[in-house]
Amino acid sequence: MRERGKLFILLGIGLIFCLFAGNIIYASNSNSKIKLFGAYEGKEKIFSTFTKDTGIKIEYLDMSSGEVLARLKAEKGTPLADIWFGGGVDSFIAAKNNGLLIPYISKESKYIPEKYKDPEGYWTGLSIVLISFIVNTDIAKELNIPIPQTWSALINPKFKDEISMSNPAISGTAYTILTGILQTMGKTKGWEFIGKLNKNIDYYAKRGSEPYTKAALGEVMVGLATDTGIELQREGYPIITVFPKDGIFWCPSPVAILKGTTNPEGAKKFVDWCLSERGQKVLSNNCPRIPTRKGVEIPKLLKSVENTELQKINFEEAGKLRTSIIEEWKNKFDK
Amino acid sequence: MTNNNSKTNTKKIFNFKNIEKFLLFFLILTIIVFILWPILAVFYKSLIINGSFNFTCYHALFVKNYKLLLNSLFISCTSTFFAVLLGLIIALYITYLKLPGKLFIFLVLLLTMISPPFVTSLAYIMLFGRRGLITYKLLGLHLNPYGWHGIILMQTISQASIAALIILGILRSIDKKFEQSSMDLGANGLRTLFKVTLPLAKSGIIAAALIVFVRSLADFGTPIIIGGGYKVLATEAYLNVIGLYNLPNASAMSVLLLIPALIAFILYRKMINNSNFYSAKKNSFDNFSINLPHWFTGGIAIITYLFIIFILLKYATIFWGAFAKTWGIDYSFSLKHISKLNINKLGSFFRSIKYSIIAGIAGSIIALILSYIIERKKIYGNNIIDFIVTLPFMIPGIFFGIGYVLAFHSKPLLLTGTGFIVIVNCIYRQLPLGTKAGSSVLSQLNPEMESSARDLGANEFFLFKDIILPNMKSAFLLSFINTFTATMTTIGAVIFLITPSSKIATVEMFDAIKNGNIGTGAVLANLIIFTVLIINLLFTWFLLREKKTKTNYKKSKISYVSTIEPNY
Repeated sequence: MRERGKLFILLGIGLIFCLFAGNIIYASNSNSKIKLFGAYEGKEKIFSTFTKDTGIKIEYLDMSSGEVLARLKAEKGTPLADIWFGGGVDSFIAAKNNGLLIPYISKESKYIPEKYKDPEGYWTGLSIVLISFIVNTDIAKELNIPIPQTWSALINPKFKDEISMSNPAISGTAYTILTGILQTMGKTKGWEFIGKLNKNIDYYAKRGSEPYTKAALGEVMVGLATDTGIELQREGYPIITVFPKDGIFWCPSPVAILKGTTNPEGAKKFVDWCLSERGQKVLSNNCPRIPTRKGVEIPKLLKSVENTELQKINFEEAGKLRTSIIEEWKNKFDK
Repeated sequence: MTNNNSKTNTKKIFNFKNIEKFLLFFLILTIIVFILWPILAVFYKSLIINGSFNFTCYHALFVKNYKLLLNSLFISCTSTFFAVLLGLIIALYITYLKLPGKLFIFLVLLLTMISPPFVTSLAYIMLFGRRGLITYKLLGLHLNPYGWHGIILMQTISQASIAALIILGILRSIDKKFEQSSMDLGANGLRTLFKVTLPLAKSGIIAAALIVFVRSLADFGTPIIIGGGYKVLATEAYLNVIGLYNLPNASAMSVLLLIPALIAFILYRKMINNSNFYSAKKNSFDNFSINLPHWFTGGIAIITYLFIIFILLKYATIFWGAFAKTWGIDYSFSLKHISKLNINKLGSFFRSIKYSIIAGIAGSIIALILSYIIERKKIYGNNIIDFIVTLPFMIPGIFFGIGYVLAFHSKPLLLTGTGFIVIVNCIYRQLPLGTKAGSSVLSQLNPEMESSARDLGANEFFLFKDIILPNMKSAFLLSFINTFTATMTTIGAVIFLITPSSKIATVEMFDAIKNGNIGTGAVLANLIIFTVLIINLLFTWFLLREKKTKTNYKKSKISYVSTIEPNY
């Protein structure tokens, strides 16, 4: 019995050392690998195609833009990852202003219109994220409400407690909605509209994923979200994606190289690939968004949007005003 | 010959003493670095803004957000009350009722200790949400589960198990002679229960309450998902980090959260020190039971069964979620979610297992050595060591996570970004339970045994190896199981420490759910649940097997429960 106990402890200690040693060897062999933070639908397929094309492997961690920014700020330039891939542009602007990014103007960048990229090359837009309504058709039938096609339809009292939106302090998507409304309607009217919308929202979700998940599970009828509707539909949920006819809010979803990268060459190759015609096609095939590169075809699902005017939104301003807008929103509606 | 022998002996003593000193120094150093230093870093961050000392964060908190503190206290107090009541009822069922299924109920209680985040609350929403299967589709109720009542309900259910396990341990250790005498003197069963049994178990019940209180206070996952618009401190601290990038404010909130937790914790320690239930003997009247009136036992049985049904429903939902075509919509059988498991996802899963095994073994070894030092080596300041070691237990996971980021993101302790820091975080966060388990075993072990061994010529090394270690097995088991389980299901404390190359299963599961693949999330949740179950059972079996010669299985199970008892 004694012998066995000793053996057991020895084995345990041996195991620990082996695993640690393995870890160190594994970690040091990382030249042909890039590490990546980000949130992008269909990323697994996108990354595996990239690996096939270039031989560079990708390790990724799915994080919302707020989380990425918080992490980068806390770490202050410690190399945690090489690339930040997708997310709300306002966080990228904040990261740039905090000196957390490395500028890189890719040779492919000239094909990307000015409004979708940072002039100094700190971030470059990959695709355009559109805000949409994720509507549960079963609930619409049950409540006998027509499927909302416009923003102004959503302030109808019929939708009381049937709309889910994230807290804009946390979710980039929700912040895009907020600035979109404020910039297109003007301050006074904008806040008024947000107030009316607020009456139909039971509470603001604390995670970006909640609105569409709730809509899918039938907890609410409408979830205000970006592009996940298609995936949920594929899973079998009674969901349709509606692009509001009276104004589509959008923001570019950028890619950026993080300060402290341990593999800048690999990171640059990745950015080049994403912005190239090939990469843009792969991206739009796996995630239904409008590509930023001119001449790349728009995914079929978005054909209906093609002719709808995208609202003019000033992202530089949105990024700058973020703190004050969020503060005002908090004082008015944070319940 | 004799001469030779004593020579090697003195040599060994000398060596072991040195090793012991080195170990002691090293362990204390790691405790300071991995427990105290991150905590101080959070305090520092909340007090020093732009290089100068100031109370702005706290001032703003007290003036503007004192309601948050009140909300947190309200939720914790209410949840604690109901959870302990429910726990007591379940414990009474197992101890005093002559009804079947006790072992099953006990196993269900242990199962609830394995609760992967997110999926659990998704199951809750699916069953009891606004359009939940049971509340809406079956009963036709129009309930809104989001709000303070939802938090209290969920916390009550999830904390009742731990309360039940603690109270169970205490009820079992009560000397049945007292109850027997009370009955013999003419008191009826109910009177005996309320006048004799419960007062005897009082300290244990209060200890359970304090533990549940602290856990509820630190819980940020439940309010974030079903709190709706209701805000508590733990959740707001988390949101302050990820949403507002306001680390000083988040730190201040965490510190504020620490105050009630600290008070509860100090009360708890007093409780433990003043009570004598450690030394209580195992009862000698195995078949004795007090006679309780039928209405009373009936009530207890109904409540217990409802609880068990609730728990089983939850786990059945998660289980079936992995095989159902569409979570919450189409329940027909499908393997599509399982086929979606690719190398990436499985890689994270195996990494989780690896981390958990390392954390479990290393954490248990550290814990046991520490408990030996605290209990037996009366070194200067071991009270302080004991206090520091127990700190992580009552610190909200988020606080510990923020502390680690703040403490280890710069030289000379540049550790963030490594898998090592994730493991270390799990080890030190779960250390309190391990050391408490070790201490409780040691305090039941009569020091005279060691003295006599010493008198008979055993040196310190043999003393430790032959007397202490064999008796520590149950503590090792408990500590390992706890750390392993916690590491497999953790997210709050490590969410800020994970990097692309140290992604673990819970994070992978969260990703899947976030991207709309709830079914895949459920598959991962099941993988986690079954792995933890299998490892737990294997370890229990492996360590209990050696006890088999001394005692039968049933008895060793009881001793397992009583190790959980007042120490958790």
